[in-house]
Amino acid sequence: MMNSRITVIDYGMGNLWSVGNALRYLGCTPTITDDPKEIAGADALLLPGVGSFRKAMLSLKETALDQAIVEAVQGRGRKILGICLGMQLMGSRGMEDGDTPGLGLIRTTVDRFSPDEIGANKIPHIGFDMVRSEPGSVLFSKLPEAADFYFVHSYRMLPQGLDGKVATCDYGIKFLAAYEHENVFATQFHPEKSQANGLMLLKNFLAQ
Amino acid sequence: MLKKRLIFTLLYNQGQFVLSRNFRLQKVGDLDWLQTNYNFSKISFSIDELLVLDVTRGERDTGAFCDTLKALTQGCFVPIAAGGGVRSIEHARALLRSGADKVVVNTALYENTGFIAELASEFGQQCVVASMDVKRTPDGNYRVMAECGGKALEGDAREWIERVTNQGVGELYLNSIERDGTGQGYDMQMLDLLPPVMPIPVILAGGVGNSSHLAEGIADARVDATATAHLFNFVGDGLKQARHSLVASGVDLPVWDVRQLDIILDRGEQAGGRVD
Repeated sequence: MMNSRITVIDYGMGNLWSVGNALRYLGCTPTITDDPKEIAGADALLLPGVGSFRKAMLSLKETALDQAIVEAVQGRGRKILGICLGMQLMGSRGMEDGDTPGLGLIRTTVDRFSPDEIGANKIPHIGFDMVRSEPGSVLFSKLPEAADFYFVHSYRMLPQGLDGKVATCDYGIKFLAAYEHENVFATQFHPEKSQANGLMLLKNFLAQ
Repeated sequence: MLKKRLIFTLLYNQGQFVLSRNFRLQKVGDLDWLQTNYNFSKISFSIDELLVLDVTRGERDTGAFCDTLKALTQGCFVPIAAGGGVRSIEHARALLRSGADKVVVNTALYENTGFIAELASEFGQQCVVASMDVKRTPDGNYRVMAECGGKALEGDAREWIERVTNQGVGELYLNSIERDGTGQGYDMQMLDLLPPVMPIPVILAGGVGNSSHLAEGIADARVDATATAHLFNFVGDGLKQARHSLVASGVDLPVWDVRQLDIILDRGEQAGGRVD
């Protein structure tokens, strides 16, 4: 059953146009909001984002959206999908522009790619790259075990020690490309920029 | 390992999409024309990236261009770069709010105003695509041309390319004015103008007439992406076929299955709306 009441969280730093486009293509009418009350009433949340971790967390705190998100996800069991910076914000802490606590929905830190781990590869990691998912994943349902998605990022999480299912991408180091555990979903890549693969993944999230 | 890319470039001039041959423009039609006669929404599932350039000579209507960009990008799920005469942060922001992920700059690259650094600091270096037009001179050298190919820059093309790539841009879009719109294939010699160690990705443009030209361009290790702006060389299933033949010959392009759109859109075969 497609979920039509999807709420896209607007904290001033997302590529809302593209995300909204993809959701509309899939037949949803997304509500785009910066109002914590609307988040409390949402069936499903989408946290997009492009930009700096610290600035984004400040913005979420100033508007009390951070509490509203955690309450909706942990208190009321609403599902959430974080995309790119949105995924990183769901981490325990981020190291971009200093050490900043995140929303704590994914229990790991967000660090910059280090030259040691990526070798001759360049930062940012930008372009289509191959993502390997685990069997039984909700997000990657009906997609091949290895599928291509579009990335733009300089910071990453690592898959080690996480509960739930992980998908990884190899950029010298295997980093966390996607994550799912109960009602918490996240992708480091941009499904809204990843052609049919990305649309299928978004559809899988909505249908969950 | 990052994949290589196939890019389609759309040229816009005062409300119309145009074809360009050696930078002379020929009208083909407006957005409705593009959708009806060319089925752009379908074409966009055969590319890895879209570039949309406002090549209007003289005064540009940024608002109208942004409206077109919004309409155009509605059914387009790839990274999108847009530009044409961008000289202010506001202009760049307007493009980024209309569906663009990256901003293409050309003449401003050579103006030494600090604008490129400002763009990179506001939106990130990965957001800035440097578009350089070069022209081969009768003596076999190259000149960099600014202002829609209208003004030759003094000095060596190699030095200009090096200067631009060190300015904090995210990518280089290198276009041959000589080959533009001719369908004769890329000017591969133009790649010798690049510094030996290129810090940013290179997009090769100008001259594609068929898929073997795309294959020749993308096979060069110095090339990260190949672009074509020629609508009519890839009519119907042309671009889809070109993409298939590149993938079949082993080019490492991203792969997706457009037939899955039927599942994605809950469209049965009996509905007759198959995309592929």
